[in-house]
Amino acid sequence: MQISRTGRTLLAAVLVTGALAAPALAQDVSEETVNYFKANCTSCHTIGGGRLTGPDLKGVTERQGPEWLATFIVNPARVINGGDAYALELKREAKDQVMPTLPGLTKDLATKLVELIVVESAKEKSRFVGLQLSDRPLTEEDVAYGRALYNGGTAIASGAPACIGCHQVDGTGGFGGGRLGPDLTDVYSRLEGRKPLAAWLAAPPSLTMQPIFADHPLESDEVLSMVAYLKSTAESGRPTPGHGAFAFLIAGMAGAAVILVGFDLIWRRRFRGVRRRLVMESK
Amino acid sequence: MDVRSQIAMVFHLDKCIGCHTCSVACKNIWTDREGTEYMWWNNVETKPGTGYPTKWEDQEAYRGGWKTDGKTLSLRSTGKARIIPNIFHNPSQPSMDDYYEPWTYDFKELFNAPEGDDQPVARPISKITGEHIDVESGPNWDDDLGGSQIYARNDPNMEALTPNQRLQMMSIERLVFFYLPRICNHCLNPACVASCPSGALYKRGEDGIVLINQQVCRAWRSCVSACPYKKTYYNWSTGKSEKCILCFPRLETGQAPACFHSCVGRIRYLGNLLYDADMLPEIGNLPDDQLVDAQRRMILDPHDEKVIEAARANGIHEGIIESAQQSPVYSFVKEFGIALPPHIEYRTFPMLFYVPPLLPVMSSKENDVIDNDIEDLFGDIEKARAPISYFGSLFGGGNDGVVRYALRKQWAVRLVRRHLTVGDVTKETAERALAEADCTWEQADKIYRLTTLASMDERCIIPPFQREMAIEMMEDPHEHRASVGFGFNSAPERGN
Repeated sequence: MQISRTGRTLLAAVLVTGALAAPALAQDVSEETVNYFKANCTSCHTIGGGRLTGPDLKGVTERQGPEWLATFIVNPARVINGGDAYALELKREAKDQVMPTLPGLTKDLATKLVELIVVESAKEKSRFVGLQLSDRPLTEEDVAYGRALYNGGTAIASGAPACIGCHQVDGTGGFGGGRLGPDLTDVYSRLEGRKPLAAWLAAPPSLTMQPIFADHPLESDEVLSMVAYLKSTAESGRPTPGHGAFAFLIAGMAGAAVILVGFDLIWRRRFRGVRRRLVMESK
Repeated sequence: MDVRSQIAMVFHLDKCIGCHTCSVACKNIWTDREGTEYMWWNNVETKPGTGYPTKWEDQEAYRGGWKTDGKTLSLRSTGKARIIPNIFHNPSQPSMDDYYEPWTYDFKELFNAPEGDDQPVARPISKITGEHIDVESGPNWDDDLGGSQIYARNDPNMEALTPNQRLQMMSIERLVFFYLPRICNHCLNPACVASCPSGALYKRGEDGIVLINQQVCRAWRSCVSACPYKKTYYNWSTGKSEKCILCFPRLETGQAPACFHSCVGRIRYLGNLLYDADMLPEIGNLPDDQLVDAQRRMILDPHDEKVIEAARANGIHEGIIESAQQSPVYSFVKEFGIALPPHIEYRTFPMLFYVPPLLPVMSSKENDVIDNDIEDLFGDIEKARAPISYFGSLFGGGNDGVVRYALRKQWAVRLVRRHLTVGDVTKETAERALAEADCTWEQADKIYRLTTLASMDERCIIPPFQREMAIEMMEDPHEHRASVGFGFNSAPERGN
């Protein structure tokens, strides 16, 4: 409550200044905006760190005006569907990945974010330059370690849950992994390589993963190993075809049947009668 | 010494004629409601036989009563390890077939049947499903069926006999049966109370009557399997278990329980006993064959000054002590030593005692002349038709000695009466029999009077209950009087 009230006051102030002297170059960007950017934008964007899924945002205001940017940020899909030429170009560059519409993102906040980007772009080295992973070649050890992390054989240092709980990849054997999240076998190629995947892993932006990993981020060597593993699966494996779910259903029913038969055997005397047996035996 | 008062009973089996009047009296008062059709709080069994429910004495099947490791008692029916896997279904209870499917008859058939060559009959209808059924068993299905190849043969007490004796019990002109009327024993160490997960069962402090609180019962049916005498029953209509309440509303108004009151053979005696509850943990773990004597030790002499003193200290009212001094049960169990508890090896310490039957002696029939000569008639109890070890299994916890003592004393009394009334037994014979039976002339006379001549007031010494005083403490007696009576104040229902 306190925060949102503060937030509203700040936004109101920004709006007022923005209306009077746009583009405002306020140096004191609020902590809230920074956190929001960190949590929601950095998995696809850097500021001066090169392209991930989305474009590098350094100097983005020189490419498009703040007003256009704010409108786009609030609802990217609408702008793209509206047939805006630049937005369609962005979509093409992102290999048809459409920037998600983030919850709770108002026009005010979007304006604020644009201001933040302006401020950060002006710096020599932005704090949002992105995860600086080593560029060393990925080894077999990395793949093995990543696989262990994926399966939960080795715990993730921060205490985050293992990937297999919600995702499956080709080659995890048996029933594979969970089916809550998408198949990750070819995620390496889907996200276009090492850097965007690493960025995703460092701060997963999806609605399901974010609350889990916000407080339990992966360390940089874990990210690298995971990238190595997912790269290996993308090169060798194929996504599990759809009949996996059906097999799981059948196996589940078979398992339930086995358990019921087992119960019936263990408690087979539960309906024993005394009298009827006496009568039968005497015949 | 922790002296408590307990209402106890004696059934004199030689006097029981197996007329089931007690059962019917009980049913008419208490169990003629839906869901209680199959309940026989009082039933009369033919022994040897499997009883009701079928083979209730077979604790391998029903797991009733207590078991001991020599140090502590534990319930056979349940325990920490057993309760979880059996939480939804207790396998150790009688099925409906082991009781019987209650039925009535389709009487309309008698009047509405179309004209035909055959006499119309009333077909039996299940009282549970309403469908026509073939009646296969009933609460006294083996009534009078001594020697039955199904029921008598499977009497669990037969295991105590030698193969020859068993053969004898099953052979024509040698077979034998007697009746065993049974009600709740209102045990001193009730397994049903101990087993209840809801704490619905309790033993009344003032008189030891064991009751089920219908508002607390949650239909676990633990008591049904824990009671080794199978005298708690589950009411399928209300979802509560019920059992004999020893007609406490009658007792509290100074009347004998209905089954006692209606008994044609006057076999039933009722009175209170004083006992030492402190002894229970110690004697509960004794070997089976010592239990009868141990239970008698636990029952205290109500004339003993020390006992009276301890009773007073425990808050037992003067009137209850006086009533204990006149109790016919005390005479039968302690003074005469001829009344025995049923299956005391279940270690619940039943407070219903049986005087074992002498049974008719052997008679033979030749050329249409029935011959039971004097030698056989008053020969020896060992020559009686039912083997002593059968009674030992039923009433002695495997100890034939206590049964032999009880039978010999009754035998001696019979000789004394024969000497006094008919005169064909000499005084010497009678005296010898008395000496052998550890009996005196006075005691023989007392046993004779109590067995044959005692009136209702002598057979049932009902202790004063002081209900007025108890009620006065809680509420206005006039108000209370208007709010009680037979039946339920608030009917037991599922879910409360």
